[in-house]
Formats: sequence, structure tokens, C-alpha cells
Amino acid sequence: MSKGVLVDLTKCVGCGSCTVACKLWNDNKWDDKNPTMGPSAKLTDKNWTVVQFKEVKDKKGEPVWRFVKQQCFHCKEPACASACFAKAFQKTKEGPVIYYPHLCVGCRYCMVACPFNVPKYQWEKAFPLVTKCMMCNTKVEKGEAPACVSVCPAGVFKFGDREELLKEAKSIIAKDSKYVKHIFGENEVGGTEWLYISDVPFDQLGFKTNVTKRSLPSYTEAYMHATPFVGITWGVILTGLYHYTKRRNQISKDNNKNIKA
Amino acid sequence: MQNQQEGKDKQKQITRRGFLKMMGGIGLTGITATIAGCSTDPAGGKGWMPQQYQVASSYPIQVKGRIPIDPNNPSITRDDKKCILCGQCIEVCQRVQTVYGYYELPIKNDITCVNCGQCTLWCPTAAITERDDIDKVVKALENKDLHVVVQTAPATRVGLGEEFGMAPGTFVEGKQVAALKQLGFDAVFDTNFSADLTIFEEGTELIKRISGDLHEPLPQFTSCSPGWVKFCEYYYPDLLPHMSTCKSPQQMLGALIKTYYAKEKGIKPEKIFSVSIMPCTAKKFEAARPEMNSSGKHAGKPQLKDVDVVLTTRELARLIKAKGMDLNNLPDKKYDSLMGEGTGAGLIFGATGGVMEAAIRSAYFLITKQDPPEALLNLTPIRGLQGCKEASVDIPGVGTVKVAVVHGLSNARPILEAVRKKEAPWHFIEFMCCPGGCISGGGQPRTSLPPSDEVRQARINSIYNADAHIYSKRKSYENQEVLALYEKFMENPNSHLAHELLHTHYTDRSKQLTVKKKNA
Ligand code: SF4
Ligand code: SF4
Ligand code: SF4
Ligand code: SF4
Repeated sequence: MSKGVLVDLTKCVGCGSCTVACKLWNDNKWDDKNPTMGPSAKLTDKNWTVVQFKEVKDKKGEPVWRFVKQQCFHCKEPACASACFAKAFQKTKEGPVIYYPHLCVGCRYCMVACPFNVPKYQWEKAFPLVTKCMMCNTKVEKGEAPACVSVCPAGVFKFGDREELLKEAKSIIAKDSKYVKHIFGENEVGGTEWLYISDVPFDQLGFKTNVTKRSLPSYTEAYMHATPFVGITWGVILTGLYHYTKRRNQISKDNNKNIKA
Repeated sequence: MQNQQEGKDKQKQITRRGFLKMMGGIGLTGITATIAGCSTDPAGGKGWMPQQYQVASSYPIQVKGRIPIDPNNPSITRDDKKCILCGQCIEVCQRVQTVYGYYELPIKNDITCVNCGQCTLWCPTAAITERDDIDKVVKALENKDLHVVVQTAPATRVGLGEEFGMAPGTFVEGKQVAALKQLGFDAVFDTNFSADLTIFEEGTELIKRISGDLHEPLPQFTSCSPGWVKFCEYYYPDLLPHMSTCKSPQQMLGALIKTYYAKEKGIKPEKIFSVSIMPCTAKKFEAARPEMNSSGKHAGKPQLKDVDVVLTTRELARLIKAKGMDLNNLPDKKYDSLMGEGTGAGLIFGATGGVMEAAIRSAYFLITKQDPPEALLNLTPIRGLQGCKEASVDIPGVGTVKVAVVHGLSNARPILEAVRKKEAPWHFIEFMCCPGGCISGGGQPRTSLPPSDEVRQARINSIYNADAHIYSKRKSYENQEVLALYEKFMENPNSHLAHELLHTHYTDRSKQLTVKKKNA
């Protein structure tokens, strides 16, 4: 059973503890140009999670403030992983979709494939890598909640078995009329480990509500064709593949568990 | 060095194309470099988290997270880079001030905060600080067109010295004035003056309520602590009729600086820039309240604020240090006249119980026309750090006046509930937002973490010591400059002009939150 996080957006007070926890645990630098909180909060290679501020109208038409924590959704069938021929992205059995920097060749197919625009590229680095939320997989493996989840003072998150959380989410929104009758992540792109409930319709909170309910890997072919990388010459690709294979073999000798396929 | 430069140049040149080209050909070195420098672990998880979060599950068994701060909060701000998620700010906001966690979720359209700044005193890394307004003051001081006036609160003179290595509570009144003069302020006034003035206005209001001349309920609540006022506006708006309509001493003096002082000196109000030095972060919020423009309205220029900028004690210390001055070496100077005189009664406003004690000294005189007995000059039952204190005072002609004193907002709740249930026996209640009163306000030096009662007591002792031994006058009605103000300008307490300049009204803020029924 995979682990998940249930996010109840009605409870968030916008303290940003979760964004700080993510920085602390993952030792990510602060991004001076892009804040982790507020109206212009932005996911970047350094900001693996942000809390967006949204001023919206509630059901009665009154202006209300909502805060939306964003991070990787950890899809059940992740498009990023299936787009990554280098297997730098892997779905673990516990749920997190994790990234191995040493396997990454920097092709950025993952970025194009991700329906939520999550993976980010370290543009400033000489040898850039892709980055994103790892769902704190080393914690999750030990049965601990992700860093961001563990610090929230307002009870926004619940960490546990995804299927249990889904049941719980259903019963919460059935019992309490303030919630919109939609669990974001239940079916989106075939289901995600992070599930959201809210009292304000998700499209007003900046969620991508027009994503397919089908899992994405079946579309990967189409995605590949849509990429701006079609112009890459075969030579480059093959050279890349050569190095990648070499590394993969070398590494799989050292450390087998990193390679799923 | 050269290598570094090369690296930087490379970094600049690397485009997507370049990178792929590098992969294809010359990239070998690049890739091996990446492999060599790289472990086979997944990304992330190499950092650190405070101990209390290293537990399975997310059940809230320990202190968690931190308070939310609105980026537009006029009083406090936080540097996320310094935050270690220790949870101290939540501890003080929730347990000592009963603000955070006392409203239902979802929040409405406000991040509930009374601007007290107690969180700035508890934050061990100083991630939370007052909003820094030093630059505005420096600019005003450099502007030769402006006449820059400053006032200092009672409590800053027993705190400021700590920023310069002096023992907690060191009395630096004269040195503070000297520093402000050296900084270039055109006039240095004392908020003690308007504290004395408050006694006239608030005392008169109380007597009117007791005698029935004013149809407002008893007990009367003091209104000089802006954190407390906002707390009442949020959580007990139904009790706002109990709140004295008197402005706080800061705002009274602000309004007088741009009216009375402007008139006496023949300076246009718009040429005056009014600064105050306060132990309090909520004063920044208070000064920014839209209705705090009485002097502007009086002059037909409603855009003028009564107080332009509020600096905390800590900000003043930074400003003094930035100018290369050392408070220790300054000779004592005196406040300027017109609004620089203060009595011991005004001074003790800085400590919990002080407003009440000062009020009783004067009420006794105003009612009996006689000086209060010695015992009323040392009203020990309402001094000290106990959360709620009470006393009964026999005033000939009125009978027994029952008073209560509360400091720290958690202590206010049971008293307010009693008032709500009409079970409160008191006539007059002093509320101070911060534990210990202004001497431990959110803008005072961070002497110990979390703030300790020893430090609070040392500052309080210093205040009462000055009242008893340093100040020559101990009763507000002896303040000659206040009497002159009434004679020349204001006529009498609660006069029409006094109401225009020295009194205010309140805002029901209960629509900005859903008050929790059963408090956590
Ligand atoms: S799960 Fe971990 S990596 Fe992802 S946002 Fe939370 S703290 Fe960051
Ligand atoms: S820690 Fe919780 S309350 Fe604070 S911003 Fe994150 S989700 Fe919201
Ligand atoms: S200023 Fe006071 S009310 Fe506001 S967050 Fe800090 S402790 Fe709480
Ligand atoms: S007290 Fe300071 S360091 Fe601790 S959680 Fe609050 S802001 Fe962060």
C-alpha cells in the first residue's frame, strides 16, 4: 500500500512552516528572486514546495483568503518517470516518485512530461540537474511523515496509507457541506499520492483541473513528439545514451537497488 | 582563482544547445565530473530538522510550526532564512496572548494578530523582528524642510541601556534625551506628559460614568495599550462600550504636536514630522490606524497622520549605534519644554498597574480636592507580576472604588468573561497587552529568552524607584505643562476640543474571524 498525504486546504493559516521545513531537511538554498510564500510564490529548483496566497470568493460571495501548498503530486503512474529513459525518476513502492541525480543526463523530458509542471532545472549551474519534491522518501521509508507534513501547526495534513486517506477524505466531504465535492488527486492523471480537499473550487485556487483522468504514460509518445527537443540529432542522443548506459552499468554494479528496470 | 573564473564563464555560456553539444562530444569531462562528485543516493534529505519533528506520524504531540505573519503586518516581519521552526512564537502567541488558535478555521480574510510583538521577544534567532522604520526617520532628519519632533514612552528609559551593556532596568532617561538631541531631532518631548494628560481625560470620563453623567457602562476599561484594544475588537467587540474613549498617550501627544505645539511655535502642521520611541510594536499599528489623523482633520488636511513613524527601543538603539554613538558616554539632557514635563504618575504607566495607580492618585484629588494619603502613593496590591490584581480604594464622597489590573492577554479572558456575565464587581480595569506591561513590550531589548520575570521585575523596580526618589512630582495634577495646555488650548478635560483631538472610537473586528467557542 502506498503512502499519501491528505491536504485540507480549509485549515491552512499560511504560516509557511512547511516551506521552511522543506528547505531545512533538504538543505535547499533560499531563492532570492522567487519567494516561497505569497501571491508570487513559485516552485523553482530551490523551492520544492511553496504556499501560494489566493484572494478568492467563498460560496456566499464574500472575499476570503486561502493558502495553497504546492509540491510534486507524486502520481501513481508518473509521466516524468516514464519519460525518463535514464531511469533518474523512479516510483518507489512506498509512494514517492524520487530522483537520482547520478542517473540524470539532463535531457529534461521529465519537465515536459509532467502535467503539473513540477520538475525544475538548475539553470544557473554548470552541470545542472533536475530537482523536485521527493516526498521526503527517506523519512517515508521509516514510517515518518514528510518534513513539511510533520511541522504544520494547523492540522492541514494527514499522512498515511493513500487508500485510507481517500476513504477519510470522502467521508469528510460527505459530512461537511462547506467542502466542494471533489478530491483533487483521486483520479487526476490516474491518481496521485497527494490528495487535496477544499471549500473553494480547485480551479479558482490555481489547480490544473483540466488534466486527463487517464494515466499519462500512455500518452508519452505524443508528449515526446511535442517536445522542443525533436531537433536533437541522433548523434547527440546516441552519445548521451552511450554514456548513460556506461554509467548505469557501472553504478548498478555498485548499488543495485537504485535500478528498477 | 583562475579556475573559479573559468567556471563562472562556463556557467554563463551554457545554453541548452551548448549543454547537449557538450554531452555529445567534449561533454565527457563534464559527465565524469558529475559522476565523481555525486553519490548514488536520491536527491534531498541531507539536511536537518529540529528534534521535535523527528517522529513517526504527524500527530501533534509536541510544539509545532510557527505563527503566520501577514506580509503587510505593519508591526512585525520575519526572515524565513533565520527561522528554525522551534515553535516558540506559537507558544507565546497561543499560550501567553491567546491569539493564535483562538479562531476557527478556515480563516476569513485576515491573519489574526494583535501586533504585540511578544513573538519577537521569544524568537531565539531573531527571525521575527519589528518592521524596521529607521530609514524613514533618517530621511526626515536629513530633510531641512521638516521640523522633526520625537516623543519617548515611559518604558524605553528603563530598557534602552540594556542594548549598550547596562544592567536590566538601568534608568537612562537623560542619556536617551541626549542621544535624540545629538541625532538631530528638533524637539524631544516626553510621553509621560500625555500620560499625565490621559489621567485627566480618562479620570474625568470615569467619574462621569460613575456619576451617571455619561451613559456608558461600568467597569471602564483602559485604552492605552493598542494590542489590548485590538484584542478586544477581535474577541470581545460587545464590550467595546466599556473601553475608555481616550486615545493612548502616544496618540494624544501626536495630535498635540501638530496642533498645540504647531500653533505655539508658528509652524505649519504639514512641516512637522512626528516620531515616537516606543517599547511596543503594536504602536506602529496604532499610529497607522486611519482615524489617527485628528491633527490633520483639525487643519483641514486629513492626509496628515498624528504620528508619522514609530520606532521601537531596539530600533532606536540600532540608530544610535549606526551613528557611532555610545549611550554610556552621553551626558544627561532634559526634555524640551511645552510637552516635556512628566510626573511619577505618568512614568509608572510603563509598568503593569501603573495606569491604575496614577489614576487613583488623581481621582482622589479631583473628587476630594485634597492630596491623596501616603498609602495611595504606594498602592502595593496592584504592583508586581501577578497576572490579575485587584484593590478597593475608599474615596470620600464616592465610597469604595473597586479596581482590577490585568496584564498579558491570557489573563484578560476570564475577567472579560466575568464582565460579559455581569459578574464583575469592579469600576475600573486596567488592561495591558504585554506581560509586565510596557516595560516588557514587544519592542524592548531582548535580554533573556524567553523573557524572564527577573528582567521584568528589574525594569519595574527602576520605574517605581524613579517615581519615589527621582521625580519631584508624583501626581498628574501637579504637571504644570498639562495645566497650561488646558488653560491655553484645551479649556477643560473632555471639552469639545479634547474630544476632537484626544478621544477616539473603536472598530468591531469580529467579522474578520470566527471566534472559537471552546477555547483550546
Ligand atoms: S515532501 Fe519533503 S521534499 Fe516534498 S515538499 Fe514536503 S518537505 Fe519538501
Ligand atoms: S505549515 Fe500548515 S498551516 Fe502553515 S502554511 Fe504549511 S500547510 Fe499551511
Ligand atoms: S505580534 Fe502578538 S499577536 Fe501577533 S503573532 Fe506575535 S505574539 Fe501573536
Ligand atoms: S520563534 Fe522564530 S525561529 Fe522559532 S519558529 Fe517562530 S519564527 Fe521560527
